Amino acid sequence: MASFATACRLSARLASRRVAQDASVRGLRTSAASRAAQNFTMPALSPTMTEGNIATWKVKEGDEFAAGDVLLEIETDKASMDVEAQDDGIMMKIFAADGSKAVQVGTRIGVLAEPGDDISSLEIPADESKSAQQGAKKEEAPSQSGAPSEAAPQKKAADSSKRKTSGQKAPPQKYPLYPSVEHLVKEHKLDEAALSEITPTGPQGRLLKGDVLAYLGSITESRPADIKKRFDHNSHLDLSNIKIAAPAAPPKAQKAAAPEAPVPEDLLVVLPISLASVIETQKKIEASLGTFLPLSTFVARAAEVANDELPLPSNYKPSANELFNQVLGLDKVDPKVSRGLYIPQITAVPPTSFTGVAPKPKPSKVDIIDLLSGSPKKSAKPAAQSLGQPGISAGTNTFSLKVPKSEEKRAQVFLARLKTVLEQDPGRLVL
Amino acid sequence: MMASRLIPRTAVRSGFRTQSSLPTVTTSPLSRWRRGYASQAEEKDLVIIGGGVAGYVAAIKAGQEGLKVACIEKRGALGGTCLNVGCIPSKSLLNNSHLYHQILHDTKNRGIEVGDVKLNLKDMMKAKDTSVTGLTKGIEFLFKKNGVEYIKGTGSFANEHEVKVALTDGGETSVRGKNILIATGSEATPFPGLEIDEKRVITSTGALSLDKVPEKMIVIGGGIIGLEMGSVWSRLGAKVTVVEFLNQIGGPGMDTEIAKQAQKLLKKQGMEFKLGTKVVSGESSGELVKLEVDSAKGGKPETLEADVVLVAIGRRPYTAGLGLENAGLEVDDRGRVVIDSEYRTKASHIRCIGDVTFGPMLAHKAEEEAVAAIEYIKKGYGHVNYGVIPSVMYTHPEVAWVGQNEQELKDKKIPYKIGTFPFSANSRAKTNLDTDGMVKMLADPETDRLLGCHIIGPNAGEMIAEATLALEYGASTEDIARTCHAHPTLAEAFKEAAMATYSKAIHF
Ligand SMILES: Cc1cc2nc3c(=O)[nH]c(=O)nc-3n(C[C@H](O)[C@H](O)[C@H](O)COP(=O)(O)OP(=O)(O)OC[C@H]3O[C@@H](n4cnc5c(N)ncnc54)[C@H](O)[C@@H]3O)c2cc1C
Repeated sequence: MASFATACRLSARLASRRVAQDASVRGLRTSAASRAAQNFTMPALSPTMTEGNIATWKVKEGDEFAAGDVLLEIETDKASMDVEAQDDGIMMKIFAADGSKAVQVGTRIGVLAEPGDDISSLEIPADESKSAQQGAKKEEAPSQSGAPSEAAPQKKAADSSKRKTSGQKAPPQKYPLYPSVEHLVKEHKLDEAALSEITPTGPQGRLLKGDVLAYLGSITESRPADIKKRFDHNSHLDLSNIKIAAPAAPPKAQKAAAPEAPVPEDLLVVLPISLASVIETQKKIEASLGTFLPLSTFVARAAEVANDELPLPSNYKPSANELFNQVLGLDKVDPKVSRGLYIPQITAVPPTSFTGVAPKPKPSKVDIIDLLSGSPKKSAKPAAQSLGQPGISAGTNTFSLKVPKSEEKRAQVFLARLKTVLEQDPGRLVL
Repeated sequence: MMASRLIPRTAVRSGFRTQSSLPTVTTSPLSRWRRGYASQAEEKDLVIIGGGVAGYVAAIKAGQEGLKVACIEKRGALGGTCLNVGCIPSKSLLNNSHLYHQILHDTKNRGIEVGDVKLNLKDMMKAKDTSVTGLTKGIEFLFKKNGVEYIKGTGSFANEHEVKVALTDGGETSVRGKNILIATGSEATPFPGLEIDEKRVITSTGALSLDKVPEKMIVIGGGIIGLEMGSVWSRLGAKVTVVEFLNQIGGPGMDTEIAKQAQKLLKKQGMEFKLGTKVVSGESSGELVKLEVDSAKGGKPETLEADVVLVAIGRRPYTAGLGLENAGLEVDDRGRVVIDSEYRTKASHIRCIGDVTFGPMLAHKAEEEAVAAIEYIKKGYGHVNYGVIPSVMYTHPEVAWVGQNEQELKDKKIPYKIGTFPFSANSRAKTNLDTDGMVKMLADPETDRLLGCHIIGPNAGEMIAEATLALEYGASTEDIARTCHAHPTLAEAFKEAAMATYSKAIHF
């Protein structure tokens, strides 16, 4: 049954029931080709239907149709039924003309295009139904020849004067039968074929006890339908809108989609920051107070300040606890910001910093800061001493953070603040 | 050669601790960063006016569907009538007053001796308030969780696309919405000539927070709300008289046979009923509130007196100050906002659900509509089955029903068969010493399809879910009867009623 469609594009108009269509997979758009045009195959209008005749097409090649329009009329030995379009579209090509007899279920009878498609330029998809079906038919051939004789007595029973059927078929019952129905089925020895003769009046085409009783002729034939009408009225439902419960998507498609979940990528956010001002302050403090404060103290405290009230990551999801605390007013934090935990990575801009060569002031900003701090000149040596750290330059260093993409803005704000604090007035950090 | 190093985290933390004054020092240079990220007012996908059941459920659902949604509520708490002054506080008082009443009157035969039983009304009210706050805060939490913006204030239409909000904290703002949902709910219908002061002449809202048990209480209106609130105060010691214009209590929908039983049982508990009686006028200036009543069938007039009069004659849609006219919207003769089957008003991007529009004024109906309305907005299709909406009266015993009642079927000349089962024949009810009531089923005589179910009895409100499910699935009573039910449970009475409908009950 691999070729069976899971999406129902068409439905037979059977007292407002729909029939799962055994046709091309219109709803499953997995390839570019299938998006372009779709094979339309002979639908099975009942679970027992294997073939049918095409009475008349109600649309011509090139005709546009809307959901609900009747596309064609199909005859079987039991009834003739209209096949409705489930979606809007264009009848691109018809392969089985009016009057075609004994068209096997699943055989391609036409090709459908999307509304708005230019059908002159669309490619007609390959007839997938053909190869699959032929193979299947060959295998089944011997058993099929025996089938009619087996089925015959049952059919006779079903057709006996007592059993009523309006010529409309039940869609295959996808659900377990209701207890009462199951009971009647067993009690009256109804088989699958007989079951498919019964018109269901329950929600979503479910067979109800009354449907079976009506079929058995033990109650008024029209009774279940009358009640259904009343229920429909009471529920104010527009029946034309009822959608068949979508059959589960084939597991293949789901599996294919799963590994494609985006893998979060880390991002390197970088900002050059001059430590000139910090070193200046460091010197001043050492000169006046006699205490040497390592650079790391400045940077750590600057980070502490810069981590405060950062914009939330774009994909921020507060924990249930956080949310509830906010609701209860226990947490006064503005929900648009939160405290960060960033620790910057620091890299000297020139290849080495402790060679004693003062870094070339990077962009103009460093100059400005230097001007502001009143010390345009720096000797590298004391800087290197006070740093006492390999890899940190007395001049401009690159401060960087590795963060998920969603935190780009958050990290940028952090670094910008770090820059402000370290370059503008680092004295405040320690005094 | 690039060398790098990490500042150890501990250093950061300790640096912070020793420098507690730091944040204040550095606020000024940083404030500009904050400003840069302040969010700007934008057009929402959906603006909801009213944060009651209809509004808040729609808001959460919309948030889940990825819509940018804001919900405007003026009450100061979410949850609307239902959570603040309706379903929830009333059920708190009903449950606790029932316990109190039971401890007072129904312990000896159970082998429990109790000493002095005293009512602490203040604490009973506190228990109620705790439940209410817990739940309304819970909704606020869900708003946050689902990204719903909660705007505290009163909304009114400036025009078709813009809602002005007079903020609760002062000031005004306005929001634009691609879609707007009206969910402003309902209010108690006042009684002409009787001014509501919520102390002596009260609505259900006042009845939920009286500060003492009145000696005598008159309830105008024998519907569900009147009977529930009447029950509370009757159990707590008030002499309660219910005056009802119709000849049946319970309001429309309640099966006549069940309503009669309910009345009998409530009477046994001490409530008085004056049915087919009309309140002509009222007077509340004296020490007691006086009501002039007339027999509806033209009997002799009478004067009734009480400390407190509860006006419970129904609820009406609430659209005051909403500025419907500014958006060109219409209401019907009973004040209901006019909608189509997809909840659209005259302006198709403005929808309306809940008590303020058509249909039964029930919280679960509002909730179903909320989901359906969002589905219409998001997916173009929604679904509410109005034929299968249960109703519950939370008195003791409870009364619950779903589907059609016997009178309705009779009036419409629809054939039916009945099956009933009394709780007095149910083993669990017997062991609980709580045997009042019955389950009644109505089914099609030919197909056996369930048409309606009516229950009066302990836990009827929970049991009705099974009937609702059965109706939704088009089940026959035989389907119910063939479904195994645990023993000993009250639900077995439900099953036996089904058996009685399609064939015969075993235990009766
Ligand atoms: C005492 C009592 C008991 C009840 N018990 C039950 C019960 O047990 N079961 C049940 O199903 N139902 C019960 N109900 C009914 C139930 O409360 C309502 O059906 C339900 O609340 C309707 O929800 P809603 O959202 O439509 O309206 P509401 O709950 O009334 O909410 C509307 C909200 O909109 C707000 N609002 C109005 N106008 C504006 C505006 N212009 N701007 C901003 N906000 C505005 C209001 O403040 C209100 O909070 C009870 C009602 C009462 C009074």
